Amino acid sequence: MGDDAARRRLTVARVPLPPVQRTATGFRMNLDTEERELIHRLLGELRSLLTESESVESGEPTVDGPVDDRMKRLFPTAYHQRRDQEMDDEFRRLMRDDLVASRLAGLDLLADVLAPHDDEPPHLTEAQLMAFLQAVNGVRLVLGTMLDVSEEHEIDDIDDDHPMVGEYHLYDFLSWVLDASVRAAMS
Amino acid sequence: MVAMANAPAPIVVDRPDQDLDEFVANDTPWIVLVWNDPINLMSYVTFVLQKLFGYSLEKATILMMDVHHKGRAVVSNGTREKAELDVFRLHEHGLWATMQRDDA
Repeated sequence: MGDDAARRRLTVARVPLPPVQRTATGFRMNLDTEERELIHRLLGELRSLLTESESVESGEPTVDGPVDDRMKRLFPTAYHQRRDQEMDDEFRRLMRDDLVASRLAGLDLLADVLAPHDDEPPHLTEAQLMAFLQAVNGVRLVLGTMLDVSEEHEIDDIDDDHPMVGEYHLYDFLSWVLDASVRAAMS
Repeated sequence: MVAMANAPAPIVVDRPDQDLDEFVANDTPWIVLVWNDPINLMSYVTFVLQKLFGYSLEKATILMMDVHHKGRAVVSNGTREKAELDVFRLHEHGLWATMQRDDA
């Protein structure tokens, strides 16, 4: 597991307010418009990935493991012991659609929160914050899988001319947002 | 009129022998494990364990540290149905959770 908070405390001093804060009536998102639009776009990409996989899955009678490697952490094995392989196949067959539906429902809850609108900081209900945590983590699971990040991952170790330096920065940005949002939820 | 036999009809047990193993297995308790992974944040894992299982911050933190240091931790147990539901909820939150019979 990564401990993003410790790392970030040392390196980030750009935002005076935490990105998400508990208020009397829910939570306030202090991210600027550009940052919100970035997250909005990434969640849209997660939606595409989920809906594409859905149509591929339903149109394909055979189940030969994950269709897309980037998605493997979104749909993990349930029964890890070899002797339970049949039960795992059954679990995947029965639960995969539910898992997709659950993730899409979470993204639906966030549509209004992150969609570009006036400059007022968006307000989130408890349910929307939970959906936000799950969705941001979902994007991190895809990005982290693509980048094959290790537990010792440090953004400072990535050279500026690394072919995926952009993805690394996105991953780190989302880790920072997620960690701060978890802290707001626990406060 | 032909009198029906008074003896009760034999009770047909609708459970062939090959199902017996499964029947016994269904009675076995199952455990749900969360595995260490490099992507999920420590704060997030702790929070999800609190939220899904109602654990105190202290208990959730101990479990999270077990995952982090020992590679995995048992986070819940129960019938196969309950374990499947717990695994599903953990998967919804992106945690790497699996289940196995508690007979190791």
